[in-house]
Amino acid sequence: MDRARIRNFAIIAHIDHGKSTLADRLLELTGSVSAREMQAQVLDAMDLERERGITIKAHAVRMMYQAHDGETYQLNLIDTPGHVDFSYEVSRSLAACEGALLVVDASQGVEAQTLANSYLAINHGLEIIPVINKIDLPSADVARTKEMIEGAVGLDASNALLISAKTGEGVPEVLEAIVHRVPPPKGSPDTPLQALLFDSWFDAYRGVVVLARVFHGTLRKGQKIRLWSNGRVFEVETLGVLTPKPVEIEMLEAGEVGFLIANIKNVADTKIGDTITDDSRPVIEPLPGFEEIKPMVFAGLYTVDAHEHTALREALDKLRLNDSSFFFEPESSVALGFGFRCGFLGLLHMEIIQERLEREFNLDLITTAPGVRYKITRTDGEVVEVDNPSRWLPQSEIRKIEEPVILATILTNEEYVGGILKLVEEKRGRQKGFEYVTSNRVMLSYELPLNEIVLDFYDRLKSVSRGYASLDYHLAGYWESPMARLDILVSGDPVDALSTIVHQEHAYERGRALAAKMKQLIPRQMFEVAIQAAIGGKIIARETVPAMRKNVLAKCYGGDITRKRKLLEKQKEGKKRMKRIGRVDIPQEAFLAVLRVGEE
Amino acid sequence: MPLGLYISVPFCRTKCSYCNFASGVFSQKVFARYVDRVCEEMRQAPGTAAVMGGHFEPAIDSIYLGGGTPTILPGEDLQRLFAAIRQQFSIAPDAEISVECAPGSLDERMLGTLARCGVNRVSLGVQSMVDGEAAAVGRQHKRATVLEDIAHLRAAGIHNINLDLIAGLPHQTPASWTISLDEVIASGVPHASVYMLEVDEDSRLGRELMAGGIRYHAHFVPNEDAIADFYVEACRRLNVAGIAQYEISNFARPGAVSRHNLKYWTRQPYLGFGVDAHSMLEASADAYTLLRAHPMRSRPGDTPGDNGGNRPCDVSQANVEAVRFSTSDSLEEFLAGAALKKMPVSWAEAREEAFFLGLRLNRGVDLRTIALRFGLPAELEDTVAHLCADGLLERAGSNIRLTDNGRLLSNEVFQRFLACDTAARM
Repeated sequence: MDRARIRNFAIIAHIDHGKSTLADRLLELTGSVSAREMQAQVLDAMDLERERGITIKAHAVRMMYQAHDGETYQLNLIDTPGHVDFSYEVSRSLAACEGALLVVDASQGVEAQTLANSYLAINHGLEIIPVINKIDLPSADVARTKEMIEGAVGLDASNALLISAKTGEGVPEVLEAIVHRVPPPKGSPDTPLQALLFDSWFDAYRGVVVLARVFHGTLRKGQKIRLWSNGRVFEVETLGVLTPKPVEIEMLEAGEVGFLIANIKNVADTKIGDTITDDSRPVIEPLPGFEEIKPMVFAGLYTVDAHEHTALREALDKLRLNDSSFFFEPESSVALGFGFRCGFLGLLHMEIIQERLEREFNLDLITTAPGVRYKITRTDGEVVEVDNPSRWLPQSEIRKIEEPVILATILTNEEYVGGILKLVEEKRGRQKGFEYVTSNRVMLSYELPLNEIVLDFYDRLKSVSRGYASLDYHLAGYWESPMARLDILVSGDPVDALSTIVHQEHAYERGRALAAKMKQLIPRQMFEVAIQAAIGGKIIARETVPAMRKNVLAKCYGGDITRKRKLLEKQKEGKKRMKRIGRVDIPQEAFLAVLRVGEE
Repeated sequence: MPLGLYISVPFCRTKCSYCNFASGVFSQKVFARYVDRVCEEMRQAPGTAAVMGGHFEPAIDSIYLGGGTPTILPGEDLQRLFAAIRQQFSIAPDAEISVECAPGSLDERMLGTLARCGVNRVSLGVQSMVDGEAAAVGRQHKRATVLEDIAHLRAAGIHNINLDLIAGLPHQTPASWTISLDEVIASGVPHASVYMLEVDEDSRLGRELMAGGIRYHAHFVPNEDAIADFYVEACRRLNVAGIAQYEISNFARPGAVSRHNLKYWTRQPYLGFGVDAHSMLEASADAYTLLRAHPMRSRPGDTPGDNGGNRPCDVSQANVEAVRFSTSDSLEEFLAGAALKKMPVSWAEAREEAFFLGLRLNRGVDLRTIALRFGLPAELEDTVAHLCADGLLERAGSNIRLTDNGRLLSNEVFQRFLACDTAARM
């Protein structure tokens, strides 16, 4: 197709601001999906995506659109993941586009995530079309929304499109704006192949499927392609586009977007952001912006039932086939037995993996408190990275500890600023910016240790702002910090799975709070149970769970022995669901309590 | 072996807030129909036993009318019940015949009826001798009512009297609990039962406690530790007064141990009639057919080979030691003739029962007797050794029994004798 009639665009929006609904309307209007086929939100294919209303994987849909000028245009909608955990994936998806629709809810205004993604798009030189959605709502405030787009994003909102994706009002104008305002792609089909790999997944029948945007040259069936980052060569078996149904084609030329299947067995070979080139006629340089994805958040995953360990391993292997961004390695815990140390892109990513393991593989899991990876300089000068509290070094061997720091952007209403400032101070934040983007909307920039974010920051932020604050962040480097390992001892035995890394200044307070929380969660046993918090062998807090006084059925009713048996069996079952450490039965909730300390 | 007979009368004038039994307030119109149905059940008893795979025996040496409030029935209905019993069964001359009564329901006519029916033991649902406490849970009587009832019973020739007390009622304090205990002792009755408040979904007070509310005086219920203290104090005072504890909840002066009660804990056969009535019979010779009809009845410990130690395991051999069955706990379903629920007891389960029922008795169980009947796997010996080491059981020769602390934690002890348990979990 003539490049002049190709438009590649993405949609940037906050959760629930209507991205998926708008995408559905565009598919309908261009006849890509008939109204009859329309299942709400066609693009979010995974059950989890639909339930959570977020997009986890990227998509690329080709629509053919006959514009008012009589010409037929090829519109490629590249749907991007919608969460801060996946900001790298977002940046690669945006890199595949020339333009973006910035969708803002007329009643909610601009949120932090939208802002971050808009900046990404601006930095990539994308043409951004502001779209104000949900104008049919009684609470819609178009003028204020425009003010925010101009104030916060810095875009001219005077020609913003006003739509209701729900009713379809204004949506035809969106298609026209894409044609007229998004520039056509550049590049030539005749130069050496240079294509951007912006997503991939594993299909049980076809192997790895790759989504690619061709910048230069032409991708053909039968062609031998080479992946830049690892030098691997594959032969293209199938080329196609999603309409959204997959349709096979013979070639993808410069400017076009589609999928390829090339007998790739391992999804880990297809790194997002990688450059695809022709093996016999390679380009000299890769596309810019490629990064190896690194996990940021780490936690131990264990099965409640030790016999399910093998099943967990198989499940993790299967999930990894489809998601190379999380990693796992075996670890063993004195308290929990054999499990896996897992690395995730962020908290949501962790939750998704956990939920999929429990839902799709029917596993009952214990997750240890998430933590981050520290850089420790030993006294001998060697630098080691530690993400597992059980591998923490003795204080005497440590010269310096550095912890990962993020730059967080928080957008909120003026009335919540006080509470948020208190929270970020408590979380060891350093202010980088404080700006009114409209008369009552404030944008805060803070450097914050990632370790504070993974504990309970989201929930706390939500509660201090009553949900009226949005957060976006990216990794901003490392800080030197005096960190230490806080251990919990139950009946004198350290429970490794309850250890966490904390800032020394917070150690006493956290130790006390955690011991108190454990006291609430550990049921009374046949003997007194001491719960202690310790740092480097020094006890800093102690609580006692008194011995159980009575567990007796002092009643007899007409010889109903079956009822007695059932009660005994139920009690016994209940104990089996707990983890026995030493002689103490600890319920699963206790292992996550580390997360919730300090909430109340 | 003579049977025990239990007859449930699930009717009450009011429903007490702590009550989690299948009893309730029903119109008197239903009483006659209910008695008809129970009498009919009794007539069918031999056939029922055969269908259930249990060994029927016409000889009985204990009868227990429980409730609900059996004395809410008109005298003629009670007499009809006893007539039906005599028609179907042969009552031993020294049979223990007990009836549960709500204090205040024993007028002269009722006392006459009971005497005519041959009743020789009465259990009074006192719960507390402190008037405010009894009233707070919906009991209709006062302390004075109880004392009057005792006097009337004695005058009518019924000296074998039991008084029920509940530890853990709202407003109970150490001092008020002592008053109740001392009143029971001073009354001179030969038998007392001490229960602890049960908190579960089946009573109004239980539900309220679980929800953390304040209805039914729930916020005045003593805490777990206090109730445990009450129980310990009850055991102490009653024992000192010569009303010796013989079971977790039961205390008797010499010669007044309840025969019917013992049947439950020593696994002697009994038949129950009426709503939510439970029966246990020895398995009849051809009971293996029953096992075949219930292949999914196996429990975790019931793997082939674990049928009780020394016994050879052979599918064709009956693996049913006894059979338990029960009636519906809904009055409506019962009156409509709902099917019985049957639960065959395998040899492995029977051994578990021998422990978790037998150990309720202060005299404990004899390991040699259990080993002879069921076999005794080595891991059970280990379990016993561990429990002794923890001070929950005490052993003298082949006899084991609960210690005082073991009694308070008896559910913890009993669980350890259930299937798939080994010493590993301690």
